[in-house]
Amino acid sequence: MTAREIPGTDPTRKMEADLVRFISEAGWEEAHTRRAEAAFSDLAIRSFRIQCDTIPEYGAYARHVGRWSGRSGDWREIPPVPCSAFKEHGLSAARAGDGAAVRGEAPASPAVTFETSGTTITRPGRVQLKSTRLYETSLLKSFARHLLPDGARLKIIIFGPTRAESPHSSLWFMADRVAGRLCDAPIWIVEHGEPRWERADAELARSRDDRVPVLLLGTTLLLRAYVERCDRRGLRFALPPGSRAMDTGGAKGTRVELLRNDIAASFHSVLGIPPTHLVNEYGMAEMGSQFYEDTLLAAHERRPARAGFVIPPWVRTRVLDPETMLDLPEGRPGLLVHYDLANLDVPLAIQTEDVGAVAGNRLTLEGRLREAERRGCSLPFEQFLERERGARADPAPGMPR
Amino acid sequence: MTQGLFDAFYLPPDVERDADTSVQRFGPPHDAIELRLATVSPASIETWVEAIRSARAEHLARRPAAEIHRVLERVAQRFLDPQSPVRRNAIAWLAHSGRFSTPMIERALTDTFGPLSAGGVSRWVASEVGSATALDHPTPDRKGIPRQAFGPEWMLQIYAGNVPGLPVWPFYSALAMKSALFAKASSQEPVLAPLLARTIAEEDRGLGACIAVVWWKGGTIELDRAAVRRAPAVLAFGGENSTMSIARETHPEAKIVIHGSKVSVAYISRASLTRPGLGSLAARAAFDVALYDQQGCLSPHAFYVERGGDVGPAAFASALGGALETLRDGLPRREPEASQAARVQLYRAQAHFEEATGSRGTQVLASSEGTDWTLVYEDGARFEPTPAYRTVRVHAVDGVQEVEAALAPAARFIEAIGLEAKGRERVALAAALAAMGVPRIAPLGALQSPSLVGTHGGLHRLLPFLRWTTVETGPRSSAVRRPHRPKRKSGRSR
Repeated sequence: MTAREIPGTDPTRKMEADLVRFISEAGWEEAHTRRAEAAFSDLAIRSFRIQCDTIPEYGAYARHVGRWSGRSGDWREIPPVPCSAFKEHGLSAARAGDGAAVRGEAPASPAVTFETSGTTITRPGRVQLKSTRLYETSLLKSFARHLLPDGARLKIIIFGPTRAESPHSSLWFMADRVAGRLCDAPIWIVEHGEPRWERADAELARSRDDRVPVLLLGTTLLLRAYVERCDRRGLRFALPPGSRAMDTGGAKGTRVELLRNDIAASFHSVLGIPPTHLVNEYGMAEMGSQFYEDTLLAAHERRPARAGFVIPPWVRTRVLDPETMLDLPEGRPGLLVHYDLANLDVPLAIQTEDVGAVAGNRLTLEGRLREAERRGCSLPFEQFLERERGARADPAPGMPR
Repeated sequence: MTQGLFDAFYLPPDVERDADTSVQRFGPPHDAIELRLATVSPASIETWVEAIRSARAEHLARRPAAEIHRVLERVAQRFLDPQSPVRRNAIAWLAHSGRFSTPMIERALTDTFGPLSAGGVSRWVASEVGSATALDHPTPDRKGIPRQAFGPEWMLQIYAGNVPGLPVWPFYSALAMKSALFAKASSQEPVLAPLLARTIAEEDRGLGACIAVVWWKGGTIELDRAAVRRAPAVLAFGGENSTMSIARETHPEAKIVIHGSKVSVAYISRASLTRPGLGSLAARAAFDVALYDQQGCLSPHAFYVERGGDVGPAAFASALGGALETLRDGLPRREPEASQAARVQLYRAQAHFEEATGSRGTQVLASSEGTDWTLVYEDGARFEPTPAYRTVRVHAVDGVQEVEAALAPAARFIEAIGLEAKGRERVALAAALAAMGVPRIAPLGALQSPSLVGTHGGLHRLLPFLRWTTVETGPRSSAVRRPHRPKRKSGRSR
């Protein structure tokens, strides 16, 4: 009988508790002290070992690629799973019926199932979590630091659907938890798949008239669509100081090149939200943690913002030469592999197709949006898949994530 | 020769004098070239189109077509002649713009211009129009009916840059049917179209006056609109997003041909899988994959290989891997950008994942270093395009029905099928594959060399744009004698 089978000593639960503690206590500025590094490595390796056991396909993959000796005790040896592997494999410890009955437990049913947007070369997949405790711990800690560094409790206007309307989106799950735990009086702008702009108009007018700052949260595409609409109609909201916005962009798979400065300028002129109060977020359904720009935090700390996204202290991002798959020196752009301790029910090491550079705890992305003008008569998979996906209903002109 | 600035546009001398230009860097930061570009505005587009239209009236419309075709053939010869400065200049700039290796570019120029030299344009025109003189005056067709063909007054052409040489036949098609040409170059490959225009102008000033080649950022709505709105004919290459917006803006009576994104595949019959023939078969297959780094719509992404031959599909896969390895040096690849290599790596990792966990007998073969080539072998047919740059799938199949079923949902994305089979079997397989509506079926090793007298994307190159005048001679004399009524034995007795 292994430890896993003894009720009350489930190593996953113990692991989760240890990870929650680590994330809760992690200091933002001391991620790379020797002590923090050792603690990260220890937790990552323990978590990886559990994942090999609880996610059989991942275990099989890790053994197959065979880079793991376990001797060096270096988290870098943990084989990253391709993010595309979520598409048709039950790459989760939370798969319904997953061996739980055999172990005499109640059948596991996932607490949440997120659909991934898919990569450019694969169809969408699924991320299933048994417990959202780690996810929420990571989310709330990062969000509070980067969007609410002043401790404000704001009314939130979500440029997206409710969780009930979009139950498989990690983004709208995230918005739901932020609204419930960190904000007040949430309003959702998307209903039955349609943006209700007049609702946003009314809320923003109220905020302006009552001098009560608000927090806007949504996809870059949807927020920008709203700002452009206001611009066309000559609508201007001088929102009160302290108002802010989190946009997540990107929209993988869309061919729109969004120029950051243009977006910031239009938010400023139309909504009165200055560039210091516009925070971009980088995330993916496959990862429990998100990365944020530090614009608002920097403004709060009265220092200039630093470029890029802040990598939380419970995440490591490796940058690999896409030809050799060897680590690149700091600052050089390459293929990104994330090691996220907030991932326990799904593999913590994720190989992406994103290209970016890391310096210190900063990540700058490259190329994710740059391909507005594509090659010509070839270029098969993206458009093939986009068209396939076109048949699927998208809850909002944002992205499923 | 390639130091300094490249003029990535061409305007007839009279209008070039008044054009504003700016310099932009092109390509990756460490290896960028500087391009001088004409500043494009809706007003300048109008001016340039007016200029080429009036030049066409003066230099092109009444000129014997055969004479124009001979000019074009001489131009092709200049791009073929190894000693010609035109060819050397083109190779140097294309190499410098960084998308393909020099051997690949040389090959592309030879393959592209070869069929257009030494009577090639005339043969091509004759294959579609009957004879060159049909473009000059009513000329009896095969049934003896005099007909004259008219090309559009001018054409808008929008190029893609995925394979070198892509603008060439479209360019020739416009001039061959006496149409002026307003071309939008590709940002991926901004070199060849202006070089070709300049060479044509050197060879024949009159023809050169009928051409404009400029570039603007795709999706710039007011410019797209200005160019497209009044174009009587549009020939565009590119992805769905850019081409759909073009299609929406065209004049309702315009003749439009849009070549969207496609890929190719290949089918190998068991009878073709012999031990002595394996090496040559794999070499031809590898060549089709490697040419243009799999960027073209004629590049195969999957090989469907029948089981039960002298050698099996797995043996073919390893021979193909060996042949791709040989071409690492034989036909070197240009290193892909980081994001493209990242996709290949993700694709490889995914294949390794399937190798570890799947039930399709997946096996991954890959270059020992780098992303130079990747081969994913698996049991059973399916269609999944790869991220290219020499990444292919080999599927072991039982027969053509299995492949038809796998390709059916994607058949409209398939430009060609490379078919390896002989005799009656080839006829039968070709019929089965043709039934899916795939435009072209060709032998392996020739997949990337379509004949000019064939079609592109299933369409002829001139015919979709031509308007015809037929000179009827009136009812035939026999018809006059015989009134339109049932014959009676004593019909004329009254």
